[in-house]
Amino acid sequence: MLSIKNLTASINGTPVLKGINLEIKAGEIHAIMGPNGSGKSTLGKVLAGHPSYEVTGGEVLFEGKNLFDLEPDARARAGIFMGFQHPIEVPGVSNASFLRLAYNKKAEAEGREELDPLEFDDFIHEKIKLVAMKEEFLDRSLNEGFSGGEKKRNEILQMAVLEPKLAILDELDSGLDIDALRVLGEAVNNLQQPDRALLIITHFPRILETIQPQFVHVLSGGRILKSAGKELALELEDRGYDWVLEEAAAGGAR
Amino acid sequence: MTSAVVGSNLLGDLLSRPRPAEWASLREAAERRLAGRELPTTSDEDWKYTDLKALAELSSGPALKAAVDISSYLLPEMVGTRQVFVNGHHAPHASCSSAVPAGVRFFPMSTASEACHALGTVGEGAARDLFEELNTARFVDGAVILVPKNLKVALPLHLLFITKAEAPTVVFPRVLIVLERGAELELVEEHHGEGAYLSCPVVEIRVAEGAILHHERVQREDPEAFHLGTLKAEVAKGGQYHSRTLTFGARLSRQQPWVRLAEGAGTTLDGLALLDGHQVADTHSFILHAEPHGTSHQLHKCIVDGRARAIFNGQIRVAPYAQGTDAKQQSRNLLLSESARVDTKPQLEIDADDVKCSHGATVGALDPEELFYLQSRGLNADDARNLLTYGFAADVLTHIPVASLRRTLRHLVMARTQADSLGDLS
Ligand SMILES: Nc1ncnc2c1ncn2[C@@H]1O[C@H](COP(=O)(O)OP(=O)(O)OP(=O)(O)O)[C@@H](O)[C@H]1O
Ligand SMILES: [Mg+2]
Repeated sequence: MLSIKNLTASINGTPVLKGINLEIKAGEIHAIMGPNGSGKSTLGKVLAGHPSYEVTGGEVLFEGKNLFDLEPDARARAGIFMGFQHPIEVPGVSNASFLRLAYNKKAEAEGREELDPLEFDDFIHEKIKLVAMKEEFLDRSLNEGFSGGEKKRNEILQMAVLEPKLAILDELDSGLDIDALRVLGEAVNNLQQPDRALLIITHFPRILETIQPQFVHVLSGGRILKSAGKELALELEDRGYDWVLEEAAAGGAR
Repeated sequence: MTSAVVGSNLLGDLLSRPRPAEWASLREAAERRLAGRELPTTSDEDWKYTDLKALAELSSGPALKAAVDISSYLLPEMVGTRQVFVNGHHAPHASCSSAVPAGVRFFPMSTASEACHALGTVGEGAARDLFEELNTARFVDGAVILVPKNLKVALPLHLLFITKAEAPTVVFPRVLIVLERGAELELVEEHHGEGAYLSCPVVEIRVAEGAILHHERVQREDPEAFHLGTLKAEVAKGGQYHSRTLTFGARLSRQQPWVRLAEGAGTTLDGLALLDGHQVADTHSFILHAEPHGTSHQLHKCIVDGRARAIFNGQIRVAPYAQGTDAKQQSRNLLLSESARVDTKPQLEIDADDVKCSHGATVGALDPEELFYLQSRGLNADDARNLLTYGFAADVLTHIPVASLRRTLRHLVMARTQADSLGDLS
């Protein structure tokens, strides 16, 4: 589904991604862990098409097509979704009308029928149950004044509405209380299907107990230094990242 | 700069209109103060960015009674609580007060002049603008609203000022609002019109101890019109005055709200101006924290497109003994074209030491992070831009208590921000 080859990217002339290689197949769940500032969010934003990042080399194929040929909105309509580490507040635009607009743009692109406000009402009420969101959040302005956890809940609501093929969730778990973590973890699990894939960026193994990845990658200094099964997450929690860096340095020296 | 003679004909024309019989002493005093005054020019610091030259070209014929179709201005919550004025004259057939709750007085001044003893007394110490004086000297009629002690008025009231200028003219809408102790009221004041004219409304407000007034002000004058308005509000101890001024129309407009806060009194003075073409919209506001523990919040937003220009001058004065004052002011401006222009200036004069005062001004384009966020959800760049522009403006409308007005204005904003192709966002 997603094939990243030797991807390098920089921001303001500073290289951040220094040769990323990653293959994600339909049905798979991948996790990326790594120290602060290692480039995890950058990878997500580059895949989603953030205009501040410059792709300086490598290629990314999404379902066989060059991802960088697509504008951010076209990538979204093609089925890529990034849950933001820090979701943006948009005053004056109600959450409900934004969700309906996003849904209808995608429906339009896929030649499906668009929903009018009443139909969407029914549709969204099923979706908010999935993420245990209170109805009043639909009438509020998009993310405005939402707590950190409420914003994350809203990201997963958007994911549930858009049903992406590939969801990149950047620190979904940071800022969530224990119950919210379980509810949203299960919601993400429910959305996962054999023709979809997930890339979970996190610092904590806890969320990976609910959303169980087949692959865990360590990203550091703009490179993936180690990839293994889900047991790697726990090992990282026990031992930190230093040993991975050392191992990689030794490997590089050999 | 411009010659001082400019517009003096206009002033002469206006003062040669017959002086209405009521409130003679008030009018004479205004005329005395008007003697020798000229239209302000851009060399007056207060009018530096707002050039009234074009006013001089406006000849002032008489403001005649006229019949208008008001059906498109009616709002369902207020069909039975409305007073309509056309060209400054009360329009009894267009008005309807059948649903005005008992105890509330909501009349044309001409029929209740005895009830208007507060007229001309609000903000007595404050400077009087030329157009305010002209209004006092020659206004024909106006609305008076009196809400007795502790009455919380259940229905909002609707004030419609409509100008229908077959030939260029000048009109003087006038409003007096008195809320007695503990009274509460929601009021919608709208200005609409057709033709080339100047409207100079003056609104005087007294909010007594613990009383609360919510005041929505909508300016949708003709694109060829001028609108130069003054509002003065005195808020007594623990009272609250909340207003939202929404500027859509007029080639040139100016709002001059002046609010005096007594101890523990509060005000919100929010504003939105949506401008394009060659429109000019100027807001010169003044908030006086005269006594301790007052609160003022001011959010002023402008969206400026084309060659339009917005001016904001927000003065806040905290008197020496007004300790515990909490004053917040924000001026936020969105420029949508290269030739659009904004001049924004906060003016804080703080003479007390235990105060919380903050102010900020931003002038710029849309936030790229917000654009990316919307695009990452599948909206193309144009749609994302239009949605954000809509949201920037609609933000000010969110808390309008009258649902039908909120909806109407959201639709207006959708159309003006090209967001109407995005479906119903209201
Ligand atoms: N606008 C910018 N200008 C310069 N450097 C930047 C800019 N944005 C990000 N960076 C740098 O890019 C690097 C990678 O940042 P990124 O946000 O991808 O890290 P991260 O792995 O997600 O970290 P965290 O775990 O703290 O979320 C950091 O060193 C950061 O300081
Ligand atoms: Mg990050």
